[in-house]
Amino acid sequence: MAASKCTRLTGSLVKQLLDSVDSVLFDCDGVIWRGDQAIPGASDVINLLKKNGKRVFFVTNNSTKTRKMYADKLAMLGFNASEEEVFGTAYCSAMYLKTVPKIQGKVYLIGSNAMRQEIENVGIQTIGVGPDPISGAQTDWANVSLDPEVKAVVVGFDEHFSYMKLNKALQYLCNPSCLFVGTNTDTRLPLEGGKAVPGTGCLVRAVETAAQRPADVVGKPSNFMFDCVAKQFSLDPARSLMVGDRLDTDIMLGTNCGLKTLLTLTGVSTVAEAEDHLKSGCPNRTGMVPDYYVDTIAELLPALQG
Amino acid sequence: MAGKARGCHKIRGAQIRDLLDSKHNILFDCDGVIWNGEIVVAGAPEVVTLLKQQGKRVFFVTNNCTRPRENYVQKFSRLGFTDVAEEEIFSSAYCSAAYLRDVAKVQGKVFVIGCHGVQKELQDAGVPTVEDVSDAPDVSIYNFPLEPDVKAVLVGYDERFTFMKLAKACCYLRNSECLFLATDPDPWHPLRGGRITPGSGSLTAALETASSRKATVIGKPSRFMYECIASQFDLDPERSLMIGDRLETDILFGANCGLDTMLTLTGVSTLEEAQEYRDSEAPEKKDFVPDYVVDTIGDFLEALED
Repeated sequence: MAASKCTRLTGSLVKQLLDSVDSVLFDCDGVIWRGDQAIPGASDVINLLKKNGKRVFFVTNNSTKTRKMYADKLAMLGFNASEEEVFGTAYCSAMYLKTVPKIQGKVYLIGSNAMRQEIENVGIQTIGVGPDPISGAQTDWANVSLDPEVKAVVVGFDEHFSYMKLNKALQYLCNPSCLFVGTNTDTRLPLEGGKAVPGTGCLVRAVETAAQRPADVVGKPSNFMFDCVAKQFSLDPARSLMVGDRLDTDIMLGTNCGLKTLLTLTGVSTVAEAEDHLKSGCPNRTGMVPDYYVDTIAELLPALQG
Repeated sequence: MAGKARGCHKIRGAQIRDLLDSKHNILFDCDGVIWNGEIVVAGAPEVVTLLKQQGKRVFFVTNNCTRPRENYVQKFSRLGFTDVAEEEIFSSAYCSAAYLRDVAKVQGKVFVIGCHGVQKELQDAGVPTVEDVSDAPDVSIYNFPLEPDVKAVLVGYDERFTFMKLAKACCYLRNSECLFLATDPDPWHPLRGGRITPGSGSLTAALETASSRKATVIGKPSRFMYECIASQFDLDPERSLMIGDRLETDILFGANCGLDTMLTLTGVSTLEEAQEYRDSEAPEKKDFVPDYVVDTIGDFLEALED
């Protein structure tokens, strides 16, 4: 396979690319929507792809919504999509716990209600969601009562993150057989309205530092997200396209899994960054070079409408 | 001292006496060296008294920022040390305040993520801080006010750490002129009974990830605490000895400042770990190797009582 060359996708190349794939995987934030605003033309792109017989999937590192909540948001913004086509890290973390380490026991969860729902949906009990402020004296914290049935600590986005939660996670992780899973390492979480706050990556780093061990990360660029989709829908990577706005997560995932990759410029990464990676020749960085780029996914429309 | 091969020699009796005879300034770490929690290391108070009687100067250099110096004086007294003065105690909180006031000469406020021990030292040094008040009910991580005149962010151990503090600090750090300081890098602190609690290092890691910036770390192994002592007292590095229990902070600190170093085995690091560093091929590991090793500083008594 030729090395990715970061070519502008234009003219007849668009149809050529679309004809060469059966499935298209889209990241969400910065690709099909920004906060609660759809990218203009995005819903037409998705709906026309489906009309043209392509399968469409949504692959996001955002752990704050269940598949159902994502399906509702997609519907509200005019996208013709169903729950089964959405792969967020809340759902994928639950699938990971169930199918890879096959957890028998409970999870100490630093995360949202959406994560709790998805994990409990696969039959694994969780504890820890919600506010948990510090109480008692410092000598009490190491002796905080631990649930002996906890077999894993899972860290996702949590606006209620506190020292007490960090402490409890550390106490559980002092047992070397306790698993440590993180949903993703993104440093910022995009919000409705276009603002951003510190991302899950910050919380995972805090726990990794205290516990002095790395988390098993489920989200992009880890292969697991793609494997999750591929297993359920029998995808052929060579006939699949990953569309994303971040070189270090979306494009990296696409490259690692053998997909074609398309960078859209309505989000985080720039062409200059991509070309920098290309020029570096560094094996760690060439995986972040997309095959193609567009200013916005709306540029796919003419080929789809033709 | 660059390239110096440190021997990791276990010493007793006359060897300790000869070493101490050659040194005028003795710098002790506290946790794991002179006490463990509220339990004094046997003989430590007598050792300090004897060193001073023999005309040595004694300093206490601790990364532990959980209490202000005046509380440390009380702890020393409580544990049987009869003549330790506040001026001899250098904690990372005290040194962070000194750095902000005397080195950075901050004009404006400091946003502090830190416990009472940190806040008090800043107050005592006359460094203005953003008031640590509860947010109004309508304030959330999606919508919060910022103070206009924040010129530095300081992060240290904080049992009241919350996502909100992380989000606010991240906003202040978007201004590249705003300083980013951390009291110390310790990922965890030991509590009694072999348990541990998350340290300043874990909170700093969260903020570094959120802001994509690296903190200037005041505490060991950085040189600053030594420079703080040297600015107040006349120190000759050749005639100074650093005694600690943590290779990655105390011993590296000593090496960074050109001091001879001694590992005591009543705390975190083991003789085996020191020997591993000594036997390692990697040149940067050499600075983690202590010159001398003792089982406990109580072993100084037989050398000093002659």
